[in-house]
Amino acid sequence: MGCSASLPDRSSGRLVGANSDNGGAPDAKNLRVKLVLLGDSGVGKSCIVLRFVRGQFDPTSKVTVGASFLSQTIALQDSTTVKFEIWDTAGQERYAALAPLYYRGAAVAVVVYDITSPDSFAKAQYWVKELQKHGSPDIIMALVGNKADLHEKREVPAQDGIEYAEKNEMFFIETSAKTADNINQLFEEIAKRLPRPTTS
Amino acid sequence: MSSSDSSLSISSEDPSDRNHDLNPKSIEDQLASTSLVEIDAQEPEDHREIQNGVDYASAGEGSHHQEIENNDEEVIVDAAQEELPSNFGVPGGLVEVEEASMGLGRGGVVWMRTNSELEVDRPSSPSSSGYAGERGSSGASSGGVSGTDEVVEDEIQEDRNDAVDDVLDSQASWVPGKRHVDEDDASISWRKRKKHFFILSHSGKPIYSRYGDEHKLAGFSATLQAIISFVENGGDRVKLVRAGKHQVVFLVKGPIYSVCISCTEEPFESLRGQLELIYGQMILILTKSVNRCFEKNPKFDMTPLLGGTDVVFSSLIHSFSWNPATFLHAYTCLPLAYGTRQAAGAILQDVADSGVLFAILMCKHKVISLVGAQKASLHPDDMLLLANFVMSSESFRTSESFSPICLPRYNPMAFLYAYVHYLDVDTYLMLLTTSSDAFYHLKDCRIRIEMVLLKSNVLSEVQRSMVDGGMRVEDLPVDLLPRSRTFPHLGQHKLPTDSPDRFRESYAGVGGPAGLWHFIYRSIFLDQYVSSEFSAPISTPKQQKRLYRAYQKFYTSMHDRGIGPHKTQFRRDENYVLLCWVTQDFELYAAFDPLADKALAIKTCNRVCQWVKDVENEIFLLGASPFSW
Repeated sequence: MGCSASLPDRSSGRLVGANSDNGGAPDAKNLRVKLVLLGDSGVGKSCIVLRFVRGQFDPTSKVTVGASFLSQTIALQDSTTVKFEIWDTAGQERYAALAPLYYRGAAVAVVVYDITSPDSFAKAQYWVKELQKHGSPDIIMALVGNKADLHEKREVPAQDGIEYAEKNEMFFIETSAKTADNINQLFEEIAKRLPRPTTS
Repeated sequence: MSSSDSSLSISSEDPSDRNHDLNPKSIEDQLASTSLVEIDAQEPEDHREIQNGVDYASAGEGSHHQEIENNDEEVIVDAAQEELPSNFGVPGGLVEVEEASMGLGRGGVVWMRTNSELEVDRPSSPSSSGYAGERGSSGASSGGVSGTDEVVEDEIQEDRNDAVDDVLDSQASWVPGKRHVDEDDASISWRKRKKHFFILSHSGKPIYSRYGDEHKLAGFSATLQAIISFVENGGDRVKLVRAGKHQVVFLVKGPIYSVCISCTEEPFESLRGQLELIYGQMILILTKSVNRCFEKNPKFDMTPLLGGTDVVFSSLIHSFSWNPATFLHAYTCLPLAYGTRQAAGAILQDVADSGVLFAILMCKHKVISLVGAQKASLHPDDMLLLANFVMSSESFRTSESFSPICLPRYNPMAFLYAYVHYLDVDTYLMLLTTSSDAFYHLKDCRIRIEMVLLKSNVLSEVQRSMVDGGMRVEDLPVDLLPRSRTFPHLGQHKLPTDSPDRFRESYAGVGGPAGLWHFIYRSIFLDQYVSSEFSAPISTPKQQKRLYRAYQKFYTSMHDRGIGPHKTQFRRDENYVLLCWVTQDFELYAAFDPLADKALAIKTCNRVCQWVKDVENEIFLLGASPFSW
């Protein structure tokens, strides 16, 4: 199991015109999923994506502008493949009003905070509420505490994350984009939770 | 060369020169006939300034300027107010600030206004917020200056031995991003910086500062606001304050104030143009609707809205010293064979017809091709700001992006959506649309464009052009007859191996023929310019910056609304001979060896113009719809 090394959709000519609403691709064996990452600036959203898509980690922070689009396909044990079309949004306040542009129609939302920053945890809760109000009703949400490698600086206890996630029917995981800890697991867990379309 | 209606007004400003309008002459005739009024460096400053309004003093003479900002609202002069013609002494309009309060060596500040009777005692006090100039302690001027150089010269790193690398890319050594965050207005180093830029709100809240942490500069920011509103309360507007070698330039745009404090001796017009660009860059990121936040809450704190954009501003400010587009208000193209550029333009046009507002293909800051939807026109300043935004934001390089941006000259109120994708390390495609859900369509467009560009070898030609560079003064044809070798590596597609080069060797270290060191040619109709590559002896970034500053002053003096616009100007100082020639069609700025012969220099300028015409198919984007009607 793992990530196939496809480049971020440079070669993929098979784009659906509008978009794959709710990830429901007709082919039950080959799912396509729109996934959006939300969270405060600097929590490591882009690092998570780049670790997942390219296996890279760049410690120099590069502020995302607007949103970046990347895709990655993974194969599951039941021989289905899931192609994630990932919107890595900018965490800056000025883009908050434009977030619906990116999470509209998303089947999956990954809300990220930094375990060393309570502020970012509060911001994550803001995003969860916003998604509950305005996201797709059957959206799958994951709550991710990133920078787990900085445990000596931890300020948000894992328990807080777990409890909040449970209350809001979210899937919870702590990751480290730096060490690659739990990055693939995050996306595999999401893939497992996806609704499978009934075979036509 | 026909110079249909160019007349002469060499700095002498003799009104009778205008008569030349009647009988068109070549630039040779024009300049030759007036060799007597050629100004040399020895001419008294004051004479020169009064004669033509050009602020052109060399370093060290700065405090004798007598610059008159002739604009109904106010007149600002510096220390030399006793030399003012008496008719300028509007009663009550003269305000002298106590020298001690500004900590200036001499002169102090004089504000002179024509329509208000306001008195200002001290715009800033040194203890709370005093911006102390580099001559802060009077009497220590020489020591102060040398100390300043050490601290300040970080604008461009120049401690590199390899001059050749610097020639290839003067931007390479510059590291983007904010420096000296630890500084504030109490730091000596902060006070000694040669050029500060600030953005603040009308309530005095800091929004951006080039140096130092904005939040720590709240007091300083409030002082700037106090100065502005004090003058505003008198029904007036402050535009420029001179304090010794420092100029404080203000730009008020609704609730947003921009201020530049500079001792770089750049003309006021240049500095104000730079503030306009900085404001435009902010609008590009936020749109003008940010003003509404201030209507709701005058104390609104805007800094969080600009989070993460320090690099965008610092890179723009850096470009003021290397990118002539910042003062020419024109863009430049990557030299390419005509057919290659046409191929790129054709596919972009295809895409534009499918609902894309602007399709722009660029390589670094140079345009490969661009196309606008019907009737949509793109201002060169918008292109500059957009390219700066994209190039300075690293995240665009990692993957394809879709981001809201605003083109301030196109529509400052609304966002457009930009699809940005790097095709290789320097080449990027920008597709602009008004529709927020066009991403997948634009992505498809990009895939199509990329395929066509690869198939027609445009991308490899682009790479080659990057390696070959643009026009070199060494390649200027010596005689005009054999047109065949006008532009060896572009026009003729010469053999890949550079055969033992004709002129380049012989001119090594001395530039081109007749002591030509560099030139910029701006086509007025096309809104485009072409600039020659830098070569020895203008080889270090510091020398390049100095030359651009000289061009900038020259540009300002040529476009001076009070006495100008001029049509030709020839100026010799200890650094260069500068020659400018403005016609209806183009503006040519050329720099020569300071010892260059004048008649030869003029001849050489004609050759440059001819050369540019010969290769215009390759250095300009032709046939595109004009950008501003």
